[in-house]
Amino acid sequence: MSSIVNRSPEKAQAKPDACLSVSRLCVSIRDPEQRDTKGRPLSSEMVSDVSFTIAAGQTLGLVGESGCGKSLTAMAIVDLLPKPQVYQSGGEISFNGQRIDSNDPKALKALRGKKVAVIFQDPMTALNPVQRTGQQIEEVLKLHFPKMDKSQRRQRSIQLLNDVGIPSPENRIDAYPHQFSGGMRQRLMIAMALAGEPDLLIADEPTTALDVTIQAQIVALLKKLQQERNMAMLFITHDLALVSQVSDHVVVMYAGKIVEQQDVPHIFSQPRHPYTKGLIAALPAAVARAPKTKLDAMPGQVPSIDAMPTGCRFANRCEYANERCEQEAPELTAHETGEISCHHWQTINEASTSGVSKNV
Amino acid sequence: MVGYFLRRLLLVIPTFIGISLLVFTITRVVPGGPIERLMTQAQLGGETGGLTRSQSSGSTLSDEQMEELKHYYGFDKPLLAGYAEWLGKVIQFDLGTSTRYQDPVWDIIKERFPVSIFYGLSTMILTYLVCIPLGIFKGMYHGSRFDSLSSAVVFLGYALPSYVIGIALISAFAGYFDWFPLGGFVSDDFAEFGFWQKTTDIFHHAVLPLIAYLAGSFAVTTLMMKNALMDNMSADYMRTATAKGLMRGEAIRGHALRNSLIPIATSFGNNISLLISGSFLIETIFNIDGIGLLGYEAVIERDYPIVMGILVISSILYLVGNILSDICVALVDPRIRFGESRT
Ligand SMILES: Nc1ncnc2c1ncn2[C@@H]1O[C@H](COP(=O)(O)OP(=O)(O)OP(=O)(O)O)[C@@H](O)[C@H]1O
Ligand code: SF4
Ligand SMILES: [Mg+2]
Repeated sequence: MSSIVNRSPEKAQAKPDACLSVSRLCVSIRDPEQRDTKGRPLSSEMVSDVSFTIAAGQTLGLVGESGCGKSLTAMAIVDLLPKPQVYQSGGEISFNGQRIDSNDPKALKALRGKKVAVIFQDPMTALNPVQRTGQQIEEVLKLHFPKMDKSQRRQRSIQLLNDVGIPSPENRIDAYPHQFSGGMRQRLMIAMALAGEPDLLIADEPTTALDVTIQAQIVALLKKLQQERNMAMLFITHDLALVSQVSDHVVVMYAGKIVEQQDVPHIFSQPRHPYTKGLIAALPAAVARAPKTKLDAMPGQVPSIDAMPTGCRFANRCEYANERCEQEAPELTAHETGEISCHHWQTINEASTSGVSKNV
Repeated sequence: MVGYFLRRLLLVIPTFIGISLLVFTITRVVPGGPIERLMTQAQLGGETGGLTRSQSSGSTLSDEQMEELKHYYGFDKPLLAGYAEWLGKVIQFDLGTSTRYQDPVWDIIKERFPVSIFYGLSTMILTYLVCIPLGIFKGMYHGSRFDSLSSAVVFLGYALPSYVIGIALISAFAGYFDWFPLGGFVSDDFAEFGFWQKTTDIFHHAVLPLIAYLAGSFAVTTLMMKNALMDNMSADYMRTATAKGLMRGEAIRGHALRNSLIPIATSFGNNISLLISGSFLIETIFNIDGIGLLGYEAVIERDYPIVMGILVISSILYLVGNILSDICVALVDPRIRFGESRT
């Protein structure tokens, strides 16, 4: 435990340039169907002990299969969990050294949209269909820059639309969301997110709903804007290839837990966790060499929330699993280039580098 | 879009012809029409209508008289010719003459308008005034005790037939307690009242029937409002609004509320035909001389010109109401632009 980096809140605060610090975050979900002996609804923990930090100007990629708790982690940061069914059940979240999970409405109001902005997965539904785009962007300005007058807000909105690459913004500002294509709508979302001039941008699968060419454009745009404004960015995706384009650092999640974290060069050159290895093997480059689908590469499914194994959560899909894995949950341990949560990571690594038997 | 609505307006004509032709045919083929009534009345030697009184003195009608009657009602012409003649008159705003009262149909209907419009309009205004805030409140506090309680009340009113409520109200508050008049639209000495007294008199008479009308009408609009608001509150764009920094109440007011008023706005047009079509049951119970009662009596008495006259007015209102609904949708929802391709 003592060797683990970034885990204790003191350490996170000691790091002066840490913009966002999430420490041992737990998110639980209440099941209204199941009740304990006292009649209270039972909850189960969906996100367990998730810790990471993001520095200003840095991008952290949060990767994992669908349903592994990426969005819950992100929503917990801005207190957007659908309470009361889903709630933060543990851990601390700090922003520029201050706790932000205090549930203080005033603090939240100052945080959301102003310090931390969010871009959601589906641009088709994330915009209000009956309001003009200008009105939706200006709303952010109105909230967070009360000194701006009407014409200044409009000017600024046009400029923001221009920044995110929307052609002829003077005209498009009065259009409704349905008059834009999917890619253009995601640009609108980005413009809206940037309007508050946030220090941290959370992008929750911002390109999943878009086709590949548009995807590349949006990612490039986000990267460019992030560097220009020296924002911190939490980039959530299930696509490791995308992460390699935008991120400095990668956190890999599996079934609500962090299994590995490393910087981008190392996660690709030296993936240590069997799950990370599987994800990398499923990348297009690997597919080209040996045609396999993602499912072929990693058979099995993420365990469901009410059937979480007591041991390693990846055990049922892991080719290196043994008895110990099934009984004892591995701890996140630091090594030279990052952190790993696997009982056999050292042996696995030797095995894969020397090419010897995979049975540990 | 203007073109679209012009086309819709033109479509009113064939639709109207369809409806009226259907009802016209029914009045021709169902037994018990005005002539048969007159014949039975003549045979019984009982009281007869004004027309026959001067023409028949015997107990049965001669063939000649029959022909005369058929001609009078236009029954001697083939169906389509009779219909064409009727339609020709309607276009000139001539709805014919009541076979029962011998007065122009339009005058008879016109006489009842104020009563029906008064009740129709008050019901409509009160329904919206109560249902919209109630629906919003229920949506925001879904699952609360108030929500369940008000649902129970609203559905009780919906489940009880309005005439049951009407009779119960009369026996309790006009019979037992004597707080309200037993019925009628105004008092007998209404004409002698001053303006203020007239107004209070109308409302005094209106309280019980209005409750009977309203009891059943709350459920639909309230639930429509509540469900629309809840749908919108869980929409993705509401999460976006919260992420921008709006508090829950601000986000509801600024975003969800307007969007959830769309279905209410679109049902508005349909309701204008309700303006004149009161419930004959409530009108009977409370002795209100409205169009509902008139229509009911006209059907029973086979007073077909009145039946057709009410049909003309209500179907035109209904058709125009539908178009109004579409205009409302287009006004409140920018995604809908009828007859235009998307840009
Ligand atoms: N409101 C909710 N009520 C109940 N369960 C929920 C709720 N939100 C999320 N969950 C559960 O929590 C799990 C994690 O959800 P989350 O949205 O964080 O996944 P994700 O990693 O973002 O996946 P995806 O890539 O599909 O977005 C899911 O399996 C889901 O079943
Ligand atoms: S702990 Fe065991 S089961 Fe889990 S990833 Fe490591 S080897 Fe596989
Ligand atoms: Mg997600």
